[in-house]
Amino acid sequence: MKIAVLVSFIAVLVVFFFVAQVPVTLTSDEVAKAVSEATAESGVPVDEEVLERAVQLSVAKLEKGQSTRLKYLASAYLVIWLVFVLYVLQLDRQQQELDRRLAQLEQESDTQ
Amino acid sequence: MKIIAIITAILIFISLYLIFGYARVEGTMLEVQKIFYYHVSAALTVFVAFGVNCVFSIKYLIQRKPNDDLLAVAAAELGIVFCTIALLSGPIWARYAWNTWWNWEPRLTSTLVLWLMYVGYFILRSALEGDRRSVYSAVLGIVAFLDVPIVYYAVDIWQGGLHPDRGTKWSLEATMRHTWMVALIALIMLFVFLLIVRYRMKKAQARYEVIQQRHLTEASS
Repeated sequence: MKIAVLVSFIAVLVVFFFVAQVPVTLTSDEVAKAVSEATAESGVPVDEEVLERAVQLSVAKLEKGQSTRLKYLASAYLVIWLVFVLYVLQLDRQQQELDRRLAQLEQESDTQ
Repeated sequence: MKIIAIITAILIFISLYLIFGYARVEGTMLEVQKIFYYHVSAALTVFVAFGVNCVFSIKYLIQRKPNDDLLAVAAAELGIVFCTIALLSGPIWARYAWNTWWNWEPRLTSTLVLWLMYVGYFILRSALEGDRRSVYSAVLGIVAFLDVPIVYYAVDIWQGGLHPDRGTKWSLEATMRHTWMVALIALIMLFVFLLIVRYRMKKAQARYEVIQQRHLTEASS
């Protein structure tokens, strides 16, 4: 049982690690390239410098919010895992208690 | 039994992979939306669990087979576990989406009432003995199940709640819908697996009590 709990905990940790590995990874060069391509495709005359600045600010805002969102996500899955683990440990405890009582009963009937 | 355990474990791992590696990040809630997959699946598994409890409670009242009572109790216990998951993961979503941990809106309130009714089911069982315990708890199980459709249709009955419409999950983008379906199947399989485990344990416990009673009778005579 302890092994199962340990394995599931490692699985949850792996999932958290996996979650933490998906940050917004947009560099300034990538933003500049995307803005330049988008304005060229749209054919609408826009101030690329202003647009690039706006996109960079949006990306910074997204990055800042992402760590908060990941905390919410990790907390939710940790709570779900915790409820299951506590329930399984409770089942294990009950099973051990039943085994102990059965062994006691067998011992009593042997002595009689 | 081992096959069910293996299938369940594989499905859980696949669902976790799909949630974090396959499903698209939703536009409004972004990463926090990923709570949805297990939160909604747990909530739907609650309906299945309490449905099983209701069916076997009715069966027990008709046929009076002790095994039906044991199965009903095992299902109710698991229903509470899954309901606890839905009730605890929901507020984390709510804090981000609605800026509050709890709101007395129809679906949340009716789900809490459902949870409390089944907690009451176990309080009742612990207070009674023998046949009365089984009969009274079976009746309470059937009555408590009446709250399940109320929870499900709460968003339609009381307009203006914070939960989205019932059909929202079916109109999700394809990768999200597939992921949710796998998560739902995984949790239902987990419920089936734990139900069998819990039923067998309860059966062994009941058998032990019979043997112990017989043993005590023999010893006294």
